[in-house]
Amino acid sequence: MRRPDTRTLIPIVAYVVLCVVAFFLPFAISDFRAQQFAYVGIYFIALIGLNVLTGYTGLISLGHGAFMAIGGYTTAILVSDQGLKLGGHVFSSDLKDLWTIPIAALVCGIAGLLFGLPALRLSGLYLALATFAIAVSAPAVIKKFEDFTGGGSGINMFGLPGLTGGIDGVTVFGHHLTFNDWLYYLSWSIALLGLAIGWLLLRGRTGRAFRAVRDSETAAASAGVNLALYKTLAFGISAAYAGVAGALFAIANTFVNPDTFPIALSIFLLVGVVVGGLGSLYGLIAGAVFVYFMQISWAQQADRAIPDWVPWFGDLNTNSPGAPAVAFGVVLIAIMMLVPSGAAGLVRRLASLTQRVSGRS
Amino acid sequence: MADFLQQVVSGLASGGIYASLALALVLIHRATGIINFAQGEMAMFTTYILWSLTSNHGWPYWPAFAATLLFAFVFGLGIHRFVIRPVERGSVLTIVIVTIGLLLILNGAATWIWTGEVRSVESPFPTRTIEVAGVTMSIQDLGTIAVVVGVVGILWLFFQFTKVGLALRAAAINPGESRLVGVRVSWMLGLGWGLAAVLGAVSGILAAPTVFLDPNMMAAILIYAFAAAVLGGIDSPAGAVVGGLLLGVGLNLLGQYVNFVGADLRLPAALLIILVVLLVKPSGLFGKPVVRRV
Amino acid sequence: MHRKLAFACIALAAVIAVLGPSASARERARAADPGVTPTQILLGGTAPFTGTTSGDAAVARGADAYFRFVNARGGVHGRRIVYRSVDDAANPAETALATRRLVEQDRVFAIVNPLGTEQSLAVRDYLNQQRVPQLFVASGATTWGRDRARYPWTIGYQPSYEAEGRIYGTYLARTRPGARVAVLVENDDLGKDLLAGLKRSVSGSAARIVATQTYDVSALDVQAQVARLRSSGADVLALFASPQFAVHAYVAANRLGWRPLVITSSASSASTVMALASEGGRNRTITGSISATFVKDPTDPRWVKDPAMAQYRSIMARYAQGANVKDVRHVYGMAVAYTTVEVLKAAGSTPTRAGVMAKARSLTSASNPFLLPGIRVETGEGDGFPVEQAALQRWSKGSWKSFGGLWGSRG
Repeated sequence: MRRPDTRTLIPIVAYVVLCVVAFFLPFAISDFRAQQFAYVGIYFIALIGLNVLTGYTGLISLGHGAFMAIGGYTTAILVSDQGLKLGGHVFSSDLKDLWTIPIAALVCGIAGLLFGLPALRLSGLYLALATFAIAVSAPAVIKKFEDFTGGGSGINMFGLPGLTGGIDGVTVFGHHLTFNDWLYYLSWSIALLGLAIGWLLLRGRTGRAFRAVRDSETAAASAGVNLALYKTLAFGISAAYAGVAGALFAIANTFVNPDTFPIALSIFLLVGVVVGGLGSLYGLIAGAVFVYFMQISWAQQADRAIPDWVPWFGDLNTNSPGAPAVAFGVVLIAIMMLVPSGAAGLVRRLASLTQRVSGRS
Repeated sequence: MADFLQQVVSGLASGGIYASLALALVLIHRATGIINFAQGEMAMFTTYILWSLTSNHGWPYWPAFAATLLFAFVFGLGIHRFVIRPVERGSVLTIVIVTIGLLLILNGAATWIWTGEVRSVESPFPTRTIEVAGVTMSIQDLGTIAVVVGVVGILWLFFQFTKVGLALRAAAINPGESRLVGVRVSWMLGLGWGLAAVLGAVSGILAAPTVFLDPNMMAAILIYAFAAAVLGGIDSPAGAVVGGLLLGVGLNLLGQYVNFVGADLRLPAALLIILVVLLVKPSGLFGKPVVRRV
Repeated sequence: MHRKLAFACIALAAVIAVLGPSASARERARAADPGVTPTQILLGGTAPFTGTTSGDAAVARGADAYFRFVNARGGVHGRRIVYRSVDDAANPAETALATRRLVEQDRVFAIVNPLGTEQSLAVRDYLNQQRVPQLFVASGATTWGRDRARYPWTIGYQPSYEAEGRIYGTYLARTRPGARVAVLVENDDLGKDLLAGLKRSVSGSAARIVATQTYDVSALDVQAQVARLRSSGADVLALFASPQFAVHAYVAANRLGWRPLVITSSASSASTVMALASEGGRNRTITGSISATFVKDPTDPRWVKDPAMAQYRSIMARYAQGANVKDVRHVYGMAVAYTTVEVLKAAGSTPTRAGVMAKARSLTSASNPFLLPGIRVETGEGDGFPVEQAALQRWSKGSWKSFGGLWGSRG
């Protein structure tokens, strides 16, 4: 029997390592950190989806926050008992939140396909602007359909029977987990599943077709790739991932509200994909970590790091409102100038560097 | 009818503000092929400079206005040189992210330096209204229209009738050949950014008396400017101006006469219209379709 | 290729190394209440320090300044009060994250003076389940006092918006019978509760609500709504709006040349907001505006020689440099901080969360230097609203002047 190709073996080994690390991580970190990593996992799922669209198929989307919103609201509406109405139908269900996750994936997938069709006519920056437009208008549209979405107050799911996670924790397979740990395992098991599905999808014909579209639409078309089909498919798949992320986001927050999916979310998703490295799946973890933690901890760390005696910097109050955003922007631009191919690119460069060094000896 | 005309006039004024910013976006896109997501924040930042000059340092209005425009020009030039040039050859996405980073920096810096408190900026025009042919018009609106027309006019003259303007246009259309003729392309591109920043500053300064000054004042205006630029055709300066004015008037009329839209959905309605236009005519009203060569 | 894997693992490890150890090992249940050490009490809160509503964060700054003042005088039972107010940019999801961080990572003793209705609602269930006091929510939504049976760990502070609306209606009914009222209503708890209160007190009187126009907080301006309200022929305009929209409404009305009697809510009455609306003195619509207040306004000539306000100014000068002293929201924050200190003192030298909550539910404070004289801060078995009284004030020539007596209101 032929030995399995190293190119296939490495990702599989990496995947197994990742699963093991992910499984044992909560034992090494605090309960609260587990919650933070749970959110990183949720971001990661959305980033995988966006990467399929932007990194692999080359279509820029600044609107994935809107797809997350659809997913989140799907979950909330199905779980809630607020008597939300659409048409003649009143939603009041005891649907378990976990079952809403695949439903959210389906709903968003369809939404993505529906959006992908008209988007075929738009290229490059026009598409980016169109998706930007959708993300910007999403909160206002959500608020307009009050009876269905709960309007500006959103939908509160806390304590409802549909929610599996509660303050007292959850019992899974006989083990009792705190809420934060449960959230962590939930989001990361789905993330790892999504990662595997994504990887399988992208290494096959579909992935090659996506990459062909990205590299040159004309060449792809002349090679017989059905542009319309694959572009629409890319939208559908990426929206489905974002929908799952949105559903998990709703479960983690235990509420949804139009303001929890602002345009900043869509922007940060794109940032996460680029910083992680377009066209790379593992780098996205770094992207997710960057986007999530950069906003929160940088200001405090910097305040501690800069000694007081430094003439001007020492007096700077980096905790001041606005300072964290400045830092985020500066780091972002620095990354784009130094390592435009993101974390994955950096790893590649370091790897080839050492290869060259050791290859000589 | 008087109501209608009143809405048209105030629509032209707000449209002028959108047009100015849209023109800035188009200018930069024509010159460097980039969509500058930070255009609004650049405008906001320069407006703070005007406010600081008039409120904190007691400058009279028009000298401060001129000084601010000068600052904006240098600011735009500087940003192109130090932030954009290093990544100019990168991919589209890299540059988009850089402009987003710039957006974050400027927004954060404004909050950091001046705090998020909302401030009032005096308008050089009185807030009285006058009656013209039975229609009540605000002097402020008329003044805004006048300033926008003036600035756009001067710029048009610059581009059409000066050597530098010609060089700028050449550098934008064909950098390679322009270099052969002795045009210093990268300086021209920087000049383009400087002028765009001036247009943005005009937009911010004219908007400030109405929307008041705070770090997020330009966010909505930027979206309308995008819509206007796309509507008119992202590479067409005339399109940007027409698009902006159409948008301003259209939004006012929509908000006034279509009840479902009311004022809540004005923005999504505008964006929806843009999307529809894009689907029918992807390169905008005045844009030329992009021909892709294999 | 193996190198790529190796580096990836290193990268992942580095990430965890950087982020992991700074957190402590797994927590077990604690005997003592978190946030209390022999030398300090750690309180948490959230406020919109960035974003379009960042003016409201003055409430947190005022409270913080007062706590520092108290610390300089020995604190409470020998402990410093550390008030950690975190930015949530008015995004309820951010509030949730920030609050959970305060409770689970920073281990604060209580959440005090959090700002915003939606924002505080987003975390109310969580805080009650965790048995963390959500003290003195800075919002006038009626639910803070009304739903105390379901949410015993949550309590508000200011008079509810509905009560405020009722005051306006009663005032109109008494002083302007036959008034025709047009109402601009924000599409959230603020606007809707105020309108509900107004409707209740106006029904059965000679004053009538002749028009209402709503708008959503995502709106860019309210010109169209104001124009429609004007065409109803009303002579009273009620602005049940948050600050930036109240300002837009004043500007729009002035542009139309409309000078009704304007009633503006206490949420938007800060003199800094009114100064914006006055457009450098050129706006005539703003003159004579009426609003309800329960705190002493720094611009009110009545309090120029008031010792409490002198203390307010000196505390602000010392502990909140650069802040705008004329903004009444700072005074509000100090009033809340004053009551918080009272509660902490009453809770004794070994405060527990339950103990503090019990004290907050049995307040009998006869006076608070920052509130209008005569206003009592009281809660009890049947009363979940600490402050229930207010006075009316009138705006003219750049300042508020309170007039008349106190209006009491239940709930």
